[in-house]
Amino acid sequence: MDPAGVFSTSFARDEALVRTRGQWISLILFILLMFLMPYLVGPRLIAVLSVMLITGVVVIGLQINTGYAGQINLGQAAFMGVGAYTAAILASKFGLPFWLTIPLAGACSALFGFIFGLSALRIKGFYLALTTIAAQALFHFLVLNLPSNWVGGSNGISLEPASLFGFVFDSDRSIYYLCLVVTIIMTYGAFGIVRGWHGRAFVAVRDDDVASGMMGVNVVKTKATAFLIGAFYAGVGGALWAYYVRFVAVDQFTLFHSIWFIAMIIVGGMGSIVGALVGVVVIKAVQEAFVSMGPDLVQIFPQLGGEMVFAMLNIFLGGTIAAFLIFEPRGLMHRWSIIKRSYRIWPFPY
Amino acid sequence: MIDFLTYLITGALVGLLYALIAMGFVVIYRASKVFNFAQGELVVFGGFVVWWMVVDAGLPLWAGLPLAFVVAAAFGLLIERIFFSKLVGESVFAMVMVTIGLLILMRGLILVLFGPAVRPFPIVFPLQPIFLGDILIPRSLLIGGIITVIVGFGLSYFFNRTRMGLRMTAVAEDHQVAMSLGISVKRSIAFAWILGALLSTLGAVIYLSGKSLNFLASEIGMTALPVALLAGFESIAGVLLAGIIVGVIQGLVTGYVDPAIGASFGTVVPFVIMLAILFIRPTGMFGWKTIERV
Repeated sequence: MDPAGVFSTSFARDEALVRTRGQWISLILFILLMFLMPYLVGPRLIAVLSVMLITGVVVIGLQINTGYAGQINLGQAAFMGVGAYTAAILASKFGLPFWLTIPLAGACSALFGFIFGLSALRIKGFYLALTTIAAQALFHFLVLNLPSNWVGGSNGISLEPASLFGFVFDSDRSIYYLCLVVTIIMTYGAFGIVRGWHGRAFVAVRDDDVASGMMGVNVVKTKATAFLIGAFYAGVGGALWAYYVRFVAVDQFTLFHSIWFIAMIIVGGMGSIVGALVGVVVIKAVQEAFVSMGPDLVQIFPQLGGEMVFAMLNIFLGGTIAAFLIFEPRGLMHRWSIIKRSYRIWPFPY
Repeated sequence: MIDFLTYLITGALVGLLYALIAMGFVVIYRASKVFNFAQGELVVFGGFVVWWMVVDAGLPLWAGLPLAFVVAAAFGLLIERIFFSKLVGESVFAMVMVTIGLLILMRGLILVLFGPAVRPFPIVFPLQPIFLGDILIPRSLLIGGIITVIVGFGLSYFFNRTRMGLRMTAVAEDHQVAMSLGISVKRSIAFAWILGALLSTLGAVIYLSGKSLNFLASEIGMTALPVALLAGFESIAGVLLAGIIVGVIQGLVTGYVDPAIGASFGTVVPFVIMLAILFIRPTGMFGWKTIERV
């Protein structure tokens, strides 16, 4: 809903992502703030922010796949892993620069995701979710059992930092900028996808796949495309991850990580790109808080031990997912839009 | 030949164990159309409760085991009361997502309640194997297999022939319709979760008897998925056959293919089977075909 007094007089205006001058100003200020972050906060926080940005890209992909197209995907971490491994192999074995490996990682992962999305030909709903679990299991098996000079086996692969015209992205600050730029591009792209023809087909299929099929949407193609796009985002995120950690191993991409990603879109809000980012920030911040408070907690309650922090984190996360689904299935973004709406129409009730 | 028969029989018995775990899936699915991703965690929880009763509290087996089953049933009821009674009438999507939340929650809960250490599981069935000629059969799996078959046919009768079982099927079909016919949706779902928890604990007892236990044992929940899928999620007796098929294939692959390629292909065989079923016949062998209308 637009603020009072804002009317669209042309189609382009009606379709615009940024609708008012106030929104333009706050968007630009926000992006400026993000660019100035490394000068405002310490390196520890910058590292956390980089991880948030990387996860943000992956979760936006999941949001398109699950939140918009309604296809439950429990293999997003495996898709991310495919991207990370592709980038690592291309960079370390073939010496390709990062501006080639990142898109190629996305493409490779998209292909992997597309194959599993194709199973929509025969199955739907939770059966489709099962294929993504199988994807997760197969990814692990393949990485661990293919000849280790191909994909590194259980040792993982190390790679050189990304570099551009002699500038090496090896500090926390520089890799943060790389992640930030890629995330901005990918977020913009996501808005474009969900606003356009594909996004509308996704939403139609999510709401009722039988009905949308009768209205002329090619359901199978739409579902496969959703997996393709979701996996592409995961692949790009995975490639960034590879450059950030400079080491990929199979245990960075488990079913458990996939579930974390699902939790992020549930908390942020299904069917909203911004919601995906909000979910990432909230969940990652809580995760960080637990991890950084862990040693203190252990000091205060020595009987708990280090494992307890991990356990408490799980209890918190599981409880959060369940609580959100029971009390606010539409996530934080829905709450936010309620607040915004009541602010805009104040003092009237509706 | 002896090798072949050993792989075959052990595979079939392991398959029956998968079938028992898969029954937990099917029971909850039959009664609420909810796909319980936390099945493996229920197994681990059941295992830890048995450990708690028999090893930690030092109760004798004849008192500790029944008590453990009572605790597991109470836990199943608790899950329903806390989560699923609030979701009556909500979409299946939300309920399945809650089971994913439950998976994570229980993992943490198990760590907090029982600690991260690897625990010895009590020896419920005698350890020495049975020799059939030259073929060696693990005793716990054999006894477990017999129990599984009995439980499978019993549950099948319950769901297809008794009033309570048919009620639960009606609830799975549509909450609103079931309610308007005077069926208590909450009670049916609660009963399904109690059954699921009990079956998981039984599975834990057979699976873990005489072995060690920590939260990684939940992997068996994911391995049992293909079994439930091959049977078709609605069929309980079919799970037995599906379990034997998956178990035998896995046993033979582990026996013959793994040494040849030098990799543990056997562990992913269930998932390969799962993908194959999903692509060829998603409703499984005995699943119900549904017709959808707008």
